[in-house]
Amino acid sequence: MNLAVFGKFAAVSFQKEITYRFDYFMAVLNGFLYIFVFTALWRALYAQGAGAGGFSAAGITAYAIMAMAIRISFSMDDTTIAIKVRDGSIATDLIRPVSFFMMNMAQCAGFSAFHTLARGVPILIFSIFLFKVDIPFTARGTALGLLSLVMGYLILFMLNYLFGLIAFWIIEVFPFQLMKYGLLNLLGGSVIPVDLFPASMKPFLALLPFQHIFYTPAAILIGHATPERALVMLTEQAAWVGIMGAASLLFWNAAKSRLVIQGG
Amino acid sequence: MRYHLGMAYTIEAQNLVKTFTVNESGKGLLGAVKALFSTKKRIVHAVENVSFGIRQGEFVGYVGENGAGKSTTIKILTGILVPTGGVARVNGVVPYENRRDNSKNIGVVFGQRTQLWWDLPVRESFEILRVIYRVSKGDFDAMMARLTKGLGLDGLMEMPVRKLSLGQRMRCDIAASLVHRPTVLFLDEPTIGLDVLAKENIRSFLRELNGKDGTTIILTTHDMNDIEQLCKRLIILDKGRVIHDGPTEELKKRFPHDKIIEVDFESELASLPLVPELEPIRREGKKMWLRHAHDSSGLALAIGKLASLYPVKDLSVREPSVEIIIRSIYEKTAALPGYAPVEKAAK
Repeated sequence: MNLAVFGKFAAVSFQKEITYRFDYFMAVLNGFLYIFVFTALWRALYAQGAGAGGFSAAGITAYAIMAMAIRISFSMDDTTIAIKVRDGSIATDLIRPVSFFMMNMAQCAGFSAFHTLARGVPILIFSIFLFKVDIPFTARGTALGLLSLVMGYLILFMLNYLFGLIAFWIIEVFPFQLMKYGLLNLLGGSVIPVDLFPASMKPFLALLPFQHIFYTPAAILIGHATPERALVMLTEQAAWVGIMGAASLLFWNAAKSRLVIQGG
Repeated sequence: MRYHLGMAYTIEAQNLVKTFTVNESGKGLLGAVKALFSTKKRIVHAVENVSFGIRQGEFVGYVGENGAGKSTTIKILTGILVPTGGVARVNGVVPYENRRDNSKNIGVVFGQRTQLWWDLPVRESFEILRVIYRVSKGDFDAMMARLTKGLGLDGLMEMPVRKLSLGQRMRCDIAASLVHRPTVLFLDEPTIGLDVLAKENIRSFLRELNGKDGTTIILTTHDMNDIEQLCKRLIILDKGRVIHDGPTEELKKRFPHDKIIEVDFESELASLPLVPELEPIRREGKKMWLRHAHDSSGLALAIGKLASLYPVKDLSVREPSVEIIIRSIYEKTAALPGYAPVEKAAK
C-alpha cells in the first residue's frame, strides 16, 4: 500500500469521526473526568508517603496525566473487523488491491489522529497547566518518547487486529473483547504504572505486550525511566512489534481460508 | 463439457470444491470458550466439483437456485474465499493466492451489498477508488464521463450513498466496479429488486460494455430476461455442481418440438395432471403453464381434450422460454408429484 492510499483511507475515517460532534464533547468530558479522578487518587495516596514505584507525588500526577492522554490519543474502533465479518461486508474490502492489514491500520490511524488532535493533545496541555505538572522535556527524551509512542500504538493496533480476527472462527467475539479490556486496563499502564506491581509479577508481565502500550511511552515521555532503562524498554517494545507483526501475518493466513461470507 | 485443459481461458475453474465448517457456538462467555474446543461442527458443501473455462469477451450467465453455489464460486474467483479443493485462475492469476494482483484486473458488483462509502457523497467514493487503483487523472475523467453518460449518473454524484434509491445505488455500484477499466467483470445479482426500466438501463449498458470494450462478463441472476437478453452462454449450477454448460441458443433448441401452453382457467383447479399429453410445469392461481413434449401434430388434439374437460377462459401457445427450459433441467431429477414442485416453481 502506498502513502497516497494509506492517506486516503486515514482521511476518510478522520472525516467520519468529525461528524460525531456529540460523541466528541462527551468524550472530552470523559477524558477530563478520568484525569481528575486519577490525579486526586494518586495525590491522596502519595500524601501518606511518597516513593512507591520510584514516583514522587508530583511524578505520579505527571504519569497519570500523560498515560491518560496517551490512552485517549490511542482511541481505536476495535469492533470493525468483527462487524465486517458478521454482516459479510468484509467481501467488499477484499475485492480491493490493498492489504487487509494495512487498510485496517490506515483507517485506525485516521480515527486515532482525530482523537489525538481533538482530545489527547488539548487535554494534555490543559492538564499540565491546571495541575502545574513539571515534565522535563529534553530533545532526546522527547525523541525516544515519540518513537516509543509509535511502537506502543502499533502494538495496540495489532492486539486489536488479532482479537478482531477471532471473528473468523467465532462470530460472537464480545467475551474476548471483554477479556482484552480487562488485561489492557490492568496491565497496560494507563491506570496503574507497572512499577507498582509486586516484583513477583514482573516476569509474568514481561511475557505479555501490554505494558509496552501505555506504560513505556508514558514513562519515557515524563522522564521517569532513566536513559539506560529507556533504551532497554524501547528494545523490548521493538521486539514486541516484531512478534505481533509476525503473529498478525500468520493469523491472517489462517483466518482467510476460514472465512464465511454471511448473507450471501 | 466445454472445458478443455490447457486452452487459453480468461477465467478457469478446475474441479473447484468449497466446504464450509460451521462451528455451532454456544451462548455467553462460557459457550464461546467451549466453542473453541468443541467438536460440534456442521459441514456445508457449497461447491462440490465445478469446472469451466471462459474466454476473453464472453458474456456468461451463471445461474442456479439459492444455495446452488453461484456466489461461492464468484467469491473464489474474486479472491475473497479460498477453495477447499481444485484450482481457479483469472487472467492466469490464482485469485486467492494473489488476491491483490487479481483485483487490479477485475471489477466486482455484489447486488446485495454496496461497495461505496455509505456516508460519503458518490463523487467521494469514486475519488477514493481512483486513488486505490492508481488511475491517472486523465483516464479517470474520461472513464467517469463515459460512465456518467452510460449509466445516467447525472445529479447523483453529490448525493450521499445512503440517500440513493436501490436503482440509483446499483448504477453507481456498477460504475464503481469499472473505474479502473477491468478486463473481467463479475456481477453477482446486479438487477435484484430493480424495476423494469432500471433493469433495462443496466442491461443496455452491459451489452455495450461487452460488445465495444470486449469486457468478459460473468453474471449471476434469477432474472431470466437478463439471461435471454445478455448472456450468449449459460452455465447452470445445481447443488454445487454444473448441470449444464452451453450457448443459450443451443439450450432453446434442446426441445425443438416442445410447446408451452399458457392457460387461464375460469376457476382454480384441484387435480393434476389434466391431460396425459400435457405436463404441468408452473401454476399461479388460475393460470397454469403446460408443456406439450411430443410432436406438434398431437398438440391440437391435446388442447381440444383440455378445453372439453376443464373451464378454459383463455389459452396461448408459445415456444419454451429459457426459464422454462432451465426449470425442466432442474426438475429432471425431481419429478412432479402432484402440486408440490409446481407450487415451488410459482415464486
